[in-house]
Amino acid sequence: MKPPVVAMRGIVKRFEGVTALDGVDFELRGGEIHGLLGENGAGKTTLMNVLYGLQEPEAGTIEVDGRPVRLRSSQDAIAHGIGMVHQHFMLVPTLTVAENMLLGERGGLLVRRRRLRAAAERIRERAERYGLEVNPDARVWQLSVGEQQRVEILRALYRDARVLILDEPTASLTPPETEQLLPRLRALADEGAAIVFITHHLEEVLAWTDRITVLRHGKLVETVRPQETSAVALARSMVGRDVTLKELGVEVSTADETGHAPTSDAPLLAVRGLECRGDLGVTALHGVEFALYGGEIVAIAGVEGNGQAELEEVLCGLRPPTAGTVAIAGRDVTHEPTAARLARGLGIVPSDRYRRGVIRALPVAENLVFDRIGELPFGTPFRVRRKAVASRARELVDRFSIRVSRLDQLAGTLSGGNAQRIVLARALSRGVRLLLAAQPTRGLDVGGMEFVWARLDEARRAGVGILLVSTDLDEVMALADRCCVLYRGRIVASWSRRELDRERIGLAMGGVVEAPGRPAGAGEVLTRR
Amino acid sequence: MTAAETGFVLPGVSRRGAQARTLLVSAAGVVLAFLVGGLLVLVAGGRPVAAFRSMFSGTLGSGFAIGELLVTAAPLLLIGLGLALAFRGRVYNIGAEGQLFVGALAGGTVALELGGPGPLLIALAMVAGIAGGALWASVVGVLRARFRVNEVISSLLMNYVGIFGFDYVVRKPLGDPAAGNALASRQLPDETMLPSIPHLFAHVGIFVALGAVPVVWYAMRVTPFGFRVRMMGLNPEATQVAGVDTRRLIVVLMAVSGGLAGLAGVIQVVGVEGRMDGGISASYGFTAIVVALLGRLTAPGVLAAALLIAFLNVGGQAMSVDNGLPYSIVLAIEGVFVLFVLIADRFARAAR
Repeated sequence: MKPPVVAMRGIVKRFEGVTALDGVDFELRGGEIHGLLGENGAGKTTLMNVLYGLQEPEAGTIEVDGRPVRLRSSQDAIAHGIGMVHQHFMLVPTLTVAENMLLGERGGLLVRRRRLRAAAERIRERAERYGLEVNPDARVWQLSVGEQQRVEILRALYRDARVLILDEPTASLTPPETEQLLPRLRALADEGAAIVFITHHLEEVLAWTDRITVLRHGKLVETVRPQETSAVALARSMVGRDVTLKELGVEVSTADETGHAPTSDAPLLAVRGLECRGDLGVTALHGVEFALYGGEIVAIAGVEGNGQAELEEVLCGLRPPTAGTVAIAGRDVTHEPTAARLARGLGIVPSDRYRRGVIRALPVAENLVFDRIGELPFGTPFRVRRKAVASRARELVDRFSIRVSRLDQLAGTLSGGNAQRIVLARALSRGVRLLLAAQPTRGLDVGGMEFVWARLDEARRAGVGILLVSTDLDEVMALADRCCVLYRGRIVASWSRRELDRERIGLAMGGVVEAPGRPAGAGEVLTRR
Repeated sequence: MTAAETGFVLPGVSRRGAQARTLLVSAAGVVLAFLVGGLLVLVAGGRPVAAFRSMFSGTLGSGFAIGELLVTAAPLLLIGLGLALAFRGRVYNIGAEGQLFVGALAGGTVALELGGPGPLLIALAMVAGIAGGALWASVVGVLRARFRVNEVISSLLMNYVGIFGFDYVVRKPLGDPAAGNALASRQLPDETMLPSIPHLFAHVGIFVALGAVPVVWYAMRVTPFGFRVRMMGLNPEATQVAGVDTRRLIVVLMAVSGGLAGLAGVIQVVGVEGRMDGGISASYGFTAIVVALLGRLTAPGVLAAALLIAFLNVGGQAMSVDNGLPYSIVLAIEGVFVLFVLIADRFARAAR
């Protein structure tokens, strides 16, 4: 039997103490589409970055065609016939398709007309052969997302790639574009190429791959054939068994069977028919509706890229919705700026804490109160009261156990966990009634996670309504009184605490929603290819 | 950046050793600048020592010289202060030159066309100048805040609109028939001219400029407004999430920097020229950008930088006239000085 095209064995990769890959084996044969599944942070992209030479592993071996290789750069990987299409395209928008193909080649900067014409010819030929039509003379910025992706794939093929890595290729595509792409990948594989297909969408994996590898927390869980498995089984492998708070040693006792009853009669947050566009102009939210009451945590679960970021921005007042309304404590704030929302009692824990949560070049003390700097007791319109700021900062540093050496230490020097404590301390110390917590524990270690969860639980008990936007199933299971799943911009399922079930949430995050009354496993595919 | 620089609420930790080193590096920069400048004078066929002597006597050697220095520094200082504030908030107003001319036009027209007691007219002219510059600049601010139009481009281009608008009004409706087709308005009545300071040959407008230094310093360092400006400059998104109306703040920063440029324009009219003409600005609006950046966007720094640039301008002219040196050498020496100050500054920061 021919050796596999790629064989990775015992790959280990660590980032500053965090083990991203822990002895992973991965094998790829010519002519197969190999699905790579896992939650956010499971190590899928890292594994592929190692294969593409972008990251060097601490341990493990890589063989290409049975021969051990060392891949120190993407140049090395390309030389071995490995190509990668990243989730975020790496094209120069102002150059033409043909010019983009020549970029990165030797002498690529000095593009001569003749070479360009030859390249265009070759592109046209390949494009035709694989059904990836694209005009070589078009400028990239004029192309749709689907076309840009074709360019990326063509670029890899143009460099004679036999191994094609696609990182979430369908995440940014519209359904018709996805429908076009998948059969073409199959045709490529039939010609002998080996294709790695990273995705979160279970039904795509089941329908289009030959083998499926599941990673969880940097470890290999299994490699199976789609015929031997089901959406439910895959979801279970991806999310693992329930890790309860108790096992983490946290005593927050949220795991009441029924969840917390809301403590307010009227909703603190009411969202109706919300629609908005994403950065690329594609509709990112479709008719999103939910209500949130005091004293409860409602989780919006889902895989990244399914509208969470846009929902967060719309609720904060950073992105204008194209339809629908947002009401905070009974008042319509759809068209009001962030400041007005904060005045209504909204607290914000942004998902990108360094971009929106803290100001790295300012000291810790100022970061802890910068949203109230002109209000008493921290200042009058004419003067900031340094002493009041410092004493409140000292108090918050103690109360939220923020590890700092001095109050004038810059926030940019803090670890992610400590930066998040600052964000949380600031949000919770201003008398909030409604808290938007977006990915509040992303990137935190267990201690930090535990701390954030305990604070959220505490706030809930104090009557604060919390909207938890999270991609982390453990977090949703630990905290949520109710849970909705956002998939491709729609809320596709929602459950109360009693009905919460890891597998069902996992399935819904992958786009598979059970019809009520049917046994688990008889999943209904939500979006048709 | 260190905490001592960026800290707002808490006083920075003083580091004596580092301060001494900073001083040393700066002194070395000045010495080197004189050496290279002297070399340039030699190349041009002059005598370096004599040249630099006339540079100093032309700026500090007499009451007249000092007055000249301060009068040149005043517009640079006023405009530089406004730009430092705007730049702190990452609002890049490159349109101060146009704002100066629009302010001069508004203020000058008030002084020229309205009757009344002199001091009142002067005050009104200044208010009109501030308003004119502020409104002119706000257009840029609104374009950026509402429609995300890049303020560097729009403010730069509005310079030409402002300057040529000024030219038109001054030549035609307000023109001096006696001056023919020259770019000059009628002469202002004497009572609307700023009084001069005895023995210094400078108008009292320099006190306005000097008085603005502590005001801007206070606004930047002590008030919540200054804090928000700084926040926006460091991280606009976090500032917005913290509830600051950043769109309004952008317009306010444009208006304040434009208002100060407009005030500088009026002072040039009622303090120096006595009429509206092209002589009210020697590209002060553009030079002030260098002043603001050289002053590291702090009020005291801008004061020092305005004095340095004025010293180089006025002293350079004296050097050229006294020693028969071509003016291009003067410009080259100015460039050398600014360059060395920047290098020294860079090294001083690295030493900290």
